[in-house]
Amino acid sequence: MMFYRRSGILHLDYRSERQLWPLRFDRFLVATVIALLLAAPLIVNRLYLVAYLVPWLIWSSATLGLNLLMGWAGQVHLGYGAVMAIGAYTSVHLVRFGAPLELAMLAGGVASAAIGVVFGAAALRIKSLYLAMATIAMQYIIDFAIIHLPGVSGGVLASIQVPPVRFLGLQIEGDLSAYYMAFFVCAMIALFLLNVDRTAFGRALAAVRERDFAAEIIGIDTFKYKLLAFWASSFIGGVVGCVLVVCYLRTVSPDQFHLDLSIQILAMVLLGGLGSVLGSFFGAGLVLFTPIVLNVVIGAAAVRFGFQIDADLKAHLPLMLYGTLIVAFLSIEPLGLAKVYGNVRNYFLLWPFRTART
Amino acid sequence: MDVALLEELALTGALVGTMYGLVALGIVLIYKTSGTANFAQGAIAMMGAYVTWAFATWAGLPTWLAAVAAVTVMFGFGVLVERILLRRMIGQPVIMILLLTFGLEVFLRSAAPGLLGSTIKRLDFGIPQAPVFIGDVLINRAYLIGGGISAALIIVAAVLFSSRLGILMRAVADDQGASWSVGIRVERAIATAWGLAAITATAAGALWGSMQGVSWSLSLLLVKALAIAILGGLDSVPGVLVASAFVGVCEGLATGIIDPLIGGGTRDIVASVIIIVTLLVRPYGLFGQEQIERI
Amino acid sequence: MKLTRRAFLATAIAIPTIGLRPAAADERVIRFGMPQDFTKIYTFLAAEYSQGQLDYFSLVNGRGGVNGYKIVADVSDSANEIPRAIETYERLKREGMVLIDPLSTPVARALVPRVLEDKINLVTAFSGRSDAADGSVFPYVMPLSPNYWTQAGLIVDFFRQQDRDLRGKKIVLVHLDTPFGKEPIPILQTLGQKLGYRFSTFPYAPPGNDQAAVWPQVRRAKADWIIFWGAGVGQSSSLSEAIRNGIALDRMCSSVWLSESDMDVVGKGAAKGVLKFEPCGSGRGPKIIADIVREVAGKGLGAGSEAKIGTAYYNYGVMMAAIMVEGVRAAFAKSPKGPITGPWLNEGLTSITDFTAEGLLPAMTVTKQDHQGGGRGRIARWDGEKFVPQTDWFSANQDVVWAEIMKSSEAFKTTGQ
Repeated sequence: MMFYRRSGILHLDYRSERQLWPLRFDRFLVATVIALLLAAPLIVNRLYLVAYLVPWLIWSSATLGLNLLMGWAGQVHLGYGAVMAIGAYTSVHLVRFGAPLELAMLAGGVASAAIGVVFGAAALRIKSLYLAMATIAMQYIIDFAIIHLPGVSGGVLASIQVPPVRFLGLQIEGDLSAYYMAFFVCAMIALFLLNVDRTAFGRALAAVRERDFAAEIIGIDTFKYKLLAFWASSFIGGVVGCVLVVCYLRTVSPDQFHLDLSIQILAMVLLGGLGSVLGSFFGAGLVLFTPIVLNVVIGAAAVRFGFQIDADLKAHLPLMLYGTLIVAFLSIEPLGLAKVYGNVRNYFLLWPFRTART
Repeated sequence: MDVALLEELALTGALVGTMYGLVALGIVLIYKTSGTANFAQGAIAMMGAYVTWAFATWAGLPTWLAAVAAVTVMFGFGVLVERILLRRMIGQPVIMILLLTFGLEVFLRSAAPGLLGSTIKRLDFGIPQAPVFIGDVLINRAYLIGGGISAALIIVAAVLFSSRLGILMRAVADDQGASWSVGIRVERAIATAWGLAAITATAAGALWGSMQGVSWSLSLLLVKALAIAILGGLDSVPGVLVASAFVGVCEGLATGIIDPLIGGGTRDIVASVIIIVTLLVRPYGLFGQEQIERI
Repeated sequence: MKLTRRAFLATAIAIPTIGLRPAAADERVIRFGMPQDFTKIYTFLAAEYSQGQLDYFSLVNGRGGVNGYKIVADVSDSANEIPRAIETYERLKREGMVLIDPLSTPVARALVPRVLEDKINLVTAFSGRSDAADGSVFPYVMPLSPNYWTQAGLIVDFFRQQDRDLRGKKIVLVHLDTPFGKEPIPILQTLGQKLGYRFSTFPYAPPGNDQAAVWPQVRRAKADWIIFWGAGVGQSSSLSEAIRNGIALDRMCSSVWLSESDMDVVGKGAAKGVLKFEPCGSGRGPKIIADIVREVAGKGLGAGSEAKIGTAYYNYGVMMAAIMVEGVRAAFAKSPKGPITGPWLNEGLTSITDFTAEGLLPAMTVTKQDHQGGGRGRIARWDGEKFVPQTDWFSANQDVVWAEIMKSSEAFKTTGQ
């Protein structure tokens, strides 16, 4: 309560009541985080920037995209890696043809959306279980198409280098500019998702998510909105695929976009919390850094406590922990890390008073 | 077109398909009782293969006995999974349960090689490798025996489902509340379904493990099994038999006919294309029941 | 078992704090980074390969290191994921790593632009970019081993030696349907035109556990020689399917990726007669391996189970480690005062001359232009117990191979692809 002053906040018009962050402390937190992120290259050393912050921003953007479909619209997509692959390849080919990066990025998004919608439309009229399988099928088919069309994948050696590009006037070379480009795209996507709930589109999605037949009865065309959500989510996926390849990987090859990537992003969405923007960032961070932290912990434990784990086991532990975390979070806290954060925040909202216990 | 080659491919394909069908059987069993698909089925098959290998190597049992022991252990495992993990998820949306099984798959896929070693392991049932010839057509003896066993198990399952146990499970799948009120032990039925699914998965895992060695790649059987389950109808056991033969034949012929034209690898996506086409044309599969949702 | 949310979260927060450790400062070390793939694709190989490398480093360190400097190998699991590998690369770079061996083609490709910029030696043993043998275009990418094109050329030459004349014969390639599997195709096609044999390919879907539809076709093709190009489960499946289709194994030859564990899966006796490409000696015969058994495993310092010492992949690891250490020695010979940096080691690696690792390898010479080391190897046959060499160390068709290498490296120079 000492931070979260709620007293004295009176809304005199609808506009102020519908603010994203009515509490001053929340606004302060957000402003601090953004300031820190903008100043990151000056504060943290290059290793952390390249190896941690950039992938975290990019993966959070992807998680936000998938979250739009899973959390806001209540559908499921197990082939998000393929969506990102389409965007990545389209944009890289266009850039190599000479198109400006901004256009190529948007074109990549449109291509992903167009192709993704074809697969989604097949299954959106029936139970969500079938949508899950259709998207897995999409993942494999796109994988196959990329490898077998030399025009797309670049031939036998199958790895295309990204040529030097300019984004909004900034030459993308080295780590600094890549970081700011990733940050910019992430901020745009996050901004979109924060405001979706306030639009008619977002309200329709909420209705479809909760009870789709009820939504149909009151006149919302559920199929159209599901398809729109699919389109928007795939568009974001395509854009993120382009950013991933330009800012982080610098080359594009088919191995990067297999089912494992889809599972990874799915895990990020689930662990972070469906339907929560903050949760997407948390989830991305958790999944990205767990293997690294685990490696360090095991190494340190071996040094300090002197016991050695069999190399095979050591190598498989991150994946095992991953799977365990997914199962644990789904059974114990299905709303993910965002709910955990929410609980902590609620506690501090009332502190030193407590919530009423029934 | 070499007709004999096509015959060979079709025959081998049908046999291989039936072996995939054994994994699909488990998916159908679970769907019939719990209403969710089990994405961990491939991983459970892999685990079954590993457990069989463990019994054969560490306990020194002859392979067939190890398989029996593994089947018993895995039945318990299936029941345990249902009891610990899925019991908590009653009432949650289907997608959550689906993703839970996904998480289980990731865990098992890494735990088995991590704990038992990631090198490929040998599982030898003493099946002779020499081919069988019918005229000019060569039949893979190993696949003949494997396919035969799988088909037999699927038929046994189909027969089982018209027995009392089967009717029990169908009742549970239809309406849990009503089942409770007539005295059916719903939890027990669901647990039994999971145990049976684990048994079929183990049998499939042991068979495939003897063909190609026991390693994490056995969990890839999942996609083929899903394709078969969807094509045949997620709640139809006889459908599994028909669909598995169909998928197997398609894969074999695709490799023979289309590969030389495109340049390879069509086998990969035959399963995926079948899934998409089935969803477009006849979503509930060949033998599945159309679900009418009541508000 | 009541798993309350509090307990769950408390443990989750507590665990990472164990990981904080003080940085150990040790001056007389040379750091190699080994972020290899133990869990995803290269599982069949990484464990034994890494064990071989670590055991060799233990042997060298046990004898006092090189010039008093110990070799430290930082092994971790990259799971073939490029972000993880890049993170490890950046972290180890900070700690002064001078050489990195990812043992993974996609990771190596992703690291190429970075190592060329940061001047760190990237070892791509049997993997990575085949055109990196061209040292003038890739100064810091060191294959230091016969690449796939060389292997293909050598295998075809062995067939020619056996049959005396390949004109009119039929050679088929059964391969994994991935960029790795497709690599030898250009060389085999060119050689086909040159030597007059008919060439066709039979791809199978990765990871290769299901080849039931491919081998009936191979049988009907009635090939004279079969080259099979897979990895891990694909290899053992290829052999099992070949046996089940009644194909003679002694007309089949593989790339480097065939080992005793594959023979185990197929059945030691059943796999008798199959051929493979060998870049170094196998078994426990070579002197270095015997030394390791005595000085490292004998003292309990081995990095893994003793049963694996002497297997094919273990020996590959020892071979690569020996070449790396020889590079260090040569670097010290050139500039004894150091400082220990990437360019310093690069000088050493590119001046290795006639190195045989006490009989383990064919004489290898690395120059600034030729990062492959000469491209020598031999063919060995499985006799039911072990791999027995069928030829001496030889090199063949290097003209065709280098033509392909130069073509590809030219493309990299101009387009960056």
